[in-house]
Amino acid sequence: MNAQKKRLQLLSVLLLLLMVGLYFSMTKGSVETSFANLLDFLIHSDQTHAKIFIQLRLARALLAFLVGASLSLSGAILQGYFQNPMAGPFVVGVSSGASFGAVLALFLGLNFSLFGFSLQSVFAFGSGFAIVSLVYLLSQKKGIFKVETLLLTGIAAGALASSLTSFLIFFKSESFEQAVFWLLGSFQLAEWSQIRVVFFYLILSFFLSQWYAKDMNLLILGDETAQSLGCSVNRVRKIFLAVSTLLAASSVSVSGIIGFVGLIVPHWTRMLIGPDHRYLFVYSSLSGGIFLMFCDLLARTSLPGSELPIGIITAIVGAPFFIYLLNKQR
Amino acid sequence: MRQYTIIALFLTFLQLPAMAGGQERTLTDDLGHVHILKHPPQRIVSLAPNITEILFALGLEEKIVGVTRYCNYPQQAQKKERIGGMVDLDLEKVISLQPDLVIAFRGNPLRLIRRLKNLQLSVFVLEQGTTLESVFSLIERIGLVTHREKAAASLVDGLNKDYKRVLNRLSSVKYAPKVYINIHGKGLWTCGRDSFLNDLVHKAKGFNIAGETPRAWIAYNLEEIIHQDPEYIIVITKSQKDFTEIKEWFTQEAPLGSTQAIREKNIYYLDEDLITRPGPRIFRAFEQLSRILHPALFRNLR
Repeated sequence: MNAQKKRLQLLSVLLLLLMVGLYFSMTKGSVETSFANLLDFLIHSDQTHAKIFIQLRLARALLAFLVGASLSLSGAILQGYFQNPMAGPFVVGVSSGASFGAVLALFLGLNFSLFGFSLQSVFAFGSGFAIVSLVYLLSQKKGIFKVETLLLTGIAAGALASSLTSFLIFFKSESFEQAVFWLLGSFQLAEWSQIRVVFFYLILSFFLSQWYAKDMNLLILGDETAQSLGCSVNRVRKIFLAVSTLLAASSVSVSGIIGFVGLIVPHWTRMLIGPDHRYLFVYSSLSGGIFLMFCDLLARTSLPGSELPIGIITAIVGAPFFIYLLNKQR
Repeated sequence: MRQYTIIALFLTFLQLPAMAGGQERTLTDDLGHVHILKHPPQRIVSLAPNITEILFALGLEEKIVGVTRYCNYPQQAQKKERIGGMVDLDLEKVISLQPDLVIAFRGNPLRLIRRLKNLQLSVFVLEQGTTLESVFSLIERIGLVTHREKAAASLVDGLNKDYKRVLNRLSSVKYAPKVYINIHGKGLWTCGRDSFLNDLVHKAKGFNIAGETPRAWIAYNLEEIIHQDPEYIIVITKSQKDFTEIKEWFTQEAPLGSTQAIREKNIYYLDEDLITRPGPRIFRAFEQLSRILHPALFRNLR
């Protein structure tokens, strides 16, 4: 009962933060606007304010929220999957892999989509999946994951993917803008069409992960125990790996690599509400979304007249946290 | 009689839009987008410094509402509203300025241009050419899109005269000295075959030692410079002060002492804003480079 109370408390805090975040996202920006402007716009909308409020600010805030939620859910899944709080889409190398795929698709000029699935996100998914499978195979010895191997292979594979990305960009592009976007992330060009895509993948993944959340709880007990308790371990593992990669890939294909969100948010959520995945998935998604929404607010308002890549902000918050985790584990 | 007057007046009114500055025109930009322009643009946003310089040169100062933070010429450009950089554009600012024409230059990323179009802005995109003369067509096309073709024609005419005058002086040149162009400070960045700078060097009767490399901008190799042994090193920087620093580095630290350029102290400065912006001032840079490479031909001139 106590746990439930705690969760309700956290939920109300998160909803409050979400409101505050949305409010600031809508009213702050390089063009000075106030709450009165916003109200005024809602009553008799004019073109200019419609563009600023709906097409720029709201689109950006929502996309940041959805990407944050996707990355955190992906991280929560990976941490359960590898039974390790150090896992995350960036650490395991999925993000870098996906980013390589997306850039490769651009490089090959495959800039079209089929049934709303752009070839770019298919490539992102494919190469993200390849990287995570590689890391999975290499860090496993007789069914047991070694943390060091997991981290090291993840970092090595991620670095390889990132440098291949840089190579393609260096070779092809006329500017380094692309490199900054793909390697440090940005929501500068957020638009509603991207929101639809990320939203679709997030909802799909969310229901799948929620459906199998109980099985994830069993996996923590070890594969054999889980099997004996009626969980079809192999299938569940495959689904989770696919879902977490899908989430990372769809995020990366709209916003580039944004590191550390998928690492710190699920971990932090677990500290607050405990390791039950039935709740962990929901709360991680929600807090991740809010976290990234605030980070993006900082990214676009902290330097007047200019913009910071959001990956810089999440790394400033995330890297010290990662070091803290490493230190604590030792 | 009165009836005729009314009809005449009516007809005059019909004619008014045409008299006020030209008829409807259809133009295609360098990305293949078709623009239908009904009237001269009144609120122009420029997304690149060379575009800003051309707009000012066409007498459009009053119509410009926003420029990038790099648009520092002419002086009046600095008083215009800033809309961020060429890459990290402040979309909100652009929207709030309510432009009826945004002129983009490649260098502005495609994704950014697409986003601006999705925001229902009228974006006219111009490609960076690979020749010096492409600046003329750039000016003419900006003239068309802003309904200033006469001003554009006379600007091009004047620039072309200066350009031809220098070309005439150079026509007797038989030998093009080997040149290494250094851009962006100490990093050994230079211009390859696909850049307009390469064309500028070529037209100034110089031999760009990196001119065979099939890209626009490349990070060059120190050994390669030594091997090619340039007779001139042209350092392109923001200021004379930066130049002094880089010159020091070239003459003392970098092992280029064996090259002719360093031995004969043929290391020169060219202003970055002048030579890297495909705008009206590029022809001044062209003349400066020609004078550096062939001083004898310009001796009896100012």
